[in-house]
Amino acid sequence: MKILRRNLVTLRLREALHGYGFIALWVVGFLFFTLFPLIETFHYSLNQVTVTAEGIRLDFVEWANYTRALFTDPNFIELVIGYAIETIVSVPIVLIFSMIIALFLNLKFRFKGLFRTIFFLPVIITSGPVIRELTAQGATVAPGIANTPAVAEFLTQLPRTLRNPVEYLLTSFILILWFSGVQILIYLSSLQKVDKSIYEAAAIDGASAWQTYWKITLPSLSTATLINAIYTIIALSHFSENKVIQYIYDQTYAVQGGIGYASAMAFLYFAVMILLLGIVYLFLAHQAKRERN
Amino acid sequence: MRRNWFRRFTGVRNRGINPQGFHVSQLKFYLLLLPLAVFMLLPIVFIFSSAFKPPDELYAYPPRFFVVNPTFKNFTDLFSKMSSSGVPVSRYLFNSVVITLVAVAASILVSSTAAYALSKKRFKLKQTLFAVNTVALMFVPIAVTIPRFLVIERLNLLDTFWVHILPGLAMPVGLFLLKQFMDSIPNEVIEAAQIDGASDVQIYWRIILPMIRPAIATIAILTFQAAWNNAETSALYVNTESLKTFAFYLSTLTTATTGANAVAGQGIAAAAALIMFLPNLIIFILLQSQVMSTMSHSGLK
Repeated sequence: MKILRRNLVTLRLREALHGYGFIALWVVGFLFFTLFPLIETFHYSLNQVTVTAEGIRLDFVEWANYTRALFTDPNFIELVIGYAIETIVSVPIVLIFSMIIALFLNLKFRFKGLFRTIFFLPVIITSGPVIRELTAQGATVAPGIANTPAVAEFLTQLPRTLRNPVEYLLTSFILILWFSGVQILIYLSSLQKVDKSIYEAAAIDGASAWQTYWKITLPSLSTATLINAIYTIIALSHFSENKVIQYIYDQTYAVQGGIGYASAMAFLYFAVMILLLGIVYLFLAHQAKRERN
Repeated sequence: MRRNWFRRFTGVRNRGINPQGFHVSQLKFYLLLLPLAVFMLLPIVFIFSSAFKPPDELYAYPPRFFVVNPTFKNFTDLFSKMSSSGVPVSRYLFNSVVITLVAVAASILVSSTAAYALSKKRFKLKQTLFAVNTVALMFVPIAVTIPRFLVIERLNLLDTFWVHILPGLAMPVGLFLLKQFMDSIPNEVIEAAQIDGASDVQIYWRIILPMIRPAIATIAILTFQAAWNNAETSALYVNTESLKTFAFYLSTLTTATTGANAVAGQGIAAAAALIMFLPNLIIFILLQSQVMSTMSHSGLK
């Protein structure tokens, strides 16, 4: 008995050591190039940072940068609210769109491979030169839609709080859909992992396809939905054409802005992002957990 | 009929009943998927067509989608600018190719080993590390530029070849995606291998890696783009002209001209964007079959 227990401990220790071994490379890189700079950024956000010829001078200002961003800066809060609304509108659309496409691409028909490839294309569209060129030429928005009389009339009828999201939805619909490449892939791969015998059992029990979808397909996709939601939020928030990011970037090198102020804004933006993720998590994690049990 | 349609829609696959080739009943899929597919292809078509647009078409309002009078002038402008610069273009290209290849290979190694540990090993800090990674994933990268500069300076990496590669290795998105894919590999597969006497390295190399090939191909596409399109590192951390990347070089060409001559600059930018984009497309086409094919028969249910 005793020997057995000691063996267990060493086995576990060995597994842990192997685990640390596998992750060591990553930890080192992460510490140096991500975590340490992050902590340093937080430090900056509490200071007035001035770059001088001798180096960087810090003057401790407590939370002044934060209060400035929250209460004095006229642009920042507006941009962040705009971002939050856009994200809340976009995430369900990306999720639903990619789920529908994944369901279709999981069926059997000719040229399925070709279609899968095409729907995976957004992966190389939303990052890099393509999207920069597209936004530079104004091709990501459809300005015509919001200006057509019928739509404009419809928009003015809407209550103020609804108008912005709806207008965003109409003008940037194209852009939203281009965010769905990886999400389709994640849905597809988890669709393929669903045990086929469950469907067979359901079919034998006389479940309609509608029921099968709601009772089997959708619940088994709930983990994938959670992952996709997180991924979508992150992709949207880090999108190079994102206005908040551009503002923070501009402020870093602006005369009235400075590194300290930009760092504080980055942390506030980060907090909003965490909040959005929290909301999504509350919505979806419950489902995902139930599926796992 | 209706029921059958729904059943297919919901992913119920009655093997052997579905037609192998084309059948009229498949038409409805094409009806829905074709327009969407065309729509997904539009940006690619756009980037090709705008690179060949003469200035008056680039500035046309409302913007025109297809090029009407294609011209190579944007490219000849770009190439004549290239030939007038001090360092030969091939030097930048060589840098970019080497950096991109090393960065892709190394970051796949780093994130997949880490993901294996986080997904299949039991140790104390596991949950914490993954949580930290997910949080770091969310932080705005540009906000850490300056502290990162200081770290790079202290590590004596400034103005070296390594500065292009090392900072991007521990890529939080890569770890996140790979770990999620590995989570779905059943533990039984690994246990079976362990019983057969496979070591951790063997399990990682022979079982995990082949099984998550689609995810690895995805990460490869993402890292390739990040490395290939990266002009920032050259601008911020590198002074020696011959250590800078092709992306940086092209960006200097386009920004330099937009100041002086905005009209020609726009055309050159469009041509440069196409040249920058082509390798991404090629890598995508090469790797997408990995993404698509292995997913269906990777040994999982």
